[in-house]
Amino acid sequence: MLDRATPLPASVAEFRRIRLRALLLLGLTWASAGGAETALTIREVAPGVFVHLGQQLALDAPGHDDIANIGFIVGTRCVAVIDTGGSVRIGRALRAAIRQRTRLPVCYVVNTHVHVDHVLGNAAFVQDHPSFIGHRALAAAMARSRDFFLQHYAADLDQPPSAAQIIAPDRTVEQSLELDLGERPLSLRAWPTAHTDCDLTVFDDRSGTLWTGDLLFRERLPALDGSASGWLAVIDELARLQVRHAVPGHGPVTEDPGPALQAERAYLRALIEGVHDELAQGGSMQDAIAHVAAAEKLKWLLWDSTHAHNVARVYEQMEWE
Amino acid sequence: MYSYLIAQSAPGRLARGTRLLSAWLLLAFCGASFALGDAQTPASGAWEYLQKQFYPGRDIGLLDESYMSLEAPANTPDPAATPLTLRFGDAALGHIRQIRVIIDNNPSPVAATFDVASGARLAEIDLRVRVDRFTSVRAIAETTDGKIEMRSTWVNASGGCSAPPGAAAAGRLGDIRFRPSPDAKSMLISILHPNNSGFQIDPLSGEPIPSHYVAHIRLSSDGRMLLDADTGISLSENPSLRIASDRPLPAPVTVDIVDSKDAHFNASWRGGVATSAASNTTAGAGGTH
Repeated sequence: MLDRATPLPASVAEFRRIRLRALLLLGLTWASAGGAETALTIREVAPGVFVHLGQQLALDAPGHDDIANIGFIVGTRCVAVIDTGGSVRIGRALRAAIRQRTRLPVCYVVNTHVHVDHVLGNAAFVQDHPSFIGHRALAAAMARSRDFFLQHYAADLDQPPSAAQIIAPDRTVEQSLELDLGERPLSLRAWPTAHTDCDLTVFDDRSGTLWTGDLLFRERLPALDGSASGWLAVIDELARLQVRHAVPGHGPVTEDPGPALQAERAYLRALIEGVHDELAQGGSMQDAIAHVAAAEKLKWLLWDSTHAHNVARVYEQMEWE
Repeated sequence: MYSYLIAQSAPGRLARGTRLLSAWLLLAFCGASFALGDAQTPASGAWEYLQKQFYPGRDIGLLDESYMSLEAPANTPDPAATPLTLRFGDAALGHIRQIRVIIDNNPSPVAATFDVASGARLAEIDLRVRVDRFTSVRAIAETTDGKIEMRSTWVNASGGCSAPPGAAAAGRLGDIRFRPSPDAKSMLISILHPNNSGFQIDPLSGEPIPSHYVAHIRLSSDGRMLLDADTGISLSENPSLRIASDRPLPAPVTVDIVDSKDAHFNASWRGGVATSAASNTTAGAGGTH
């Protein structure tokens, strides 16, 4: 801290004032996020399409329950929610944001996949009696995750935490499913194993908006829990779709997902090729973590923990391919 | 599966009280046989107990890293398959008789005991282990002149013992793959085996999965035994063992495995550099039940 090249605050008192102000700001942020009826910040990216952008924070940072992009689409009859955030509190704040904009009922809650930052807010919508919709493999994935959520994310549920707050789909998508919100058809598509084994996209035909879930990461390093090669195949298909807006699972909304898909493709290819080369030389998992795709590091946020995980995942799979 | 992703980061975000609570829940869930104190204290009750059991009255030295080192990644990528690397310096080559790998806070702390053949010039051992909760990991070597040396490291990971089984890989139980380095000084050996810890639950049925693990690995090179390992439930699913020497390993390199159901598997690498020596592998099943 006491680096001579760094100008010191004029006095310790001033330093303390600055620190106090920072702490107050932090406290206010938490307090405002803690209010049950506080509405999330929402942007209307196309008429009737509302997105809350999650923050690019680590999974262990304060605010980790607000890292995913979540939102809703409004038709003439009702509302579809797409992902609900990483806590019941965030789900409730999303619901408050919906209520500020429309009195129409929430008829569908769609989860794009099983990850905690996309599903734990589901419980906030039970009172609306919507249909909860997900990939054909989502129910099983949630069953696998339930104990883990309860052990590690209990603080993100209403107290006391209970398994009843982890809401699995009551309607699943085999290949594709059409929903109608009233003059607003949505096309849901279930994908083969890619980011996870239960990835689902939502396409709003009227605005040309594609919600990719975590099949598309921008800025934040893609996290792999499915299959790197499967994900590459899905990226090729996504790149062929004609869309006017793409809402990624993490990172800013874009009118041209091409470059973002290309960046993701480059990272996944580097993973596969790097692990292949490491295994071909009889390298250990630690060797692979140290060497694979290192040139990609400066292109992404939140590299360290996620990259090691991705390498390990690909290594374990390719060991037996 | 996917939960590994978050498991490696989750403990850090939890309040200390919650972390201890979850540690105790895991402890209860896993039926750990050692009553432990604060989950964050490296000197744990398990080690004191094991030290008395395995090294009674012995002085334990702490030589520097140039003699022996133990590494785990700073960010554990997968609590159920945490990679550990043990390296031995020039002074240790050919002078190690036995190595124990102990994970203090695991329900079965002794992950592996490697008996090293006399004269075997072992420069490196890599293995992957389950880590049940934040823990010290130790490597304790007994030298040929009877000294005991220890290195340890701290691993921030939890949930590795109860993590649900991964998706089944292609192949059959007991398949063995060899991946030599281009200079043949090291050999990566991959074993297809669930290595069920006994603390896993089938997520769909809710039923516990009985333990089923690789209990014994014997490694030889050109007809001479190199390494004889007793292993257990702390090895990862699809266990992996990599060994390196300062000299090329003469073919054939042979692996003999016995699992906890007394099934026997063996395979040999007969030379040549191959990404997968599957074509050279003869996975025997003598004694398979």
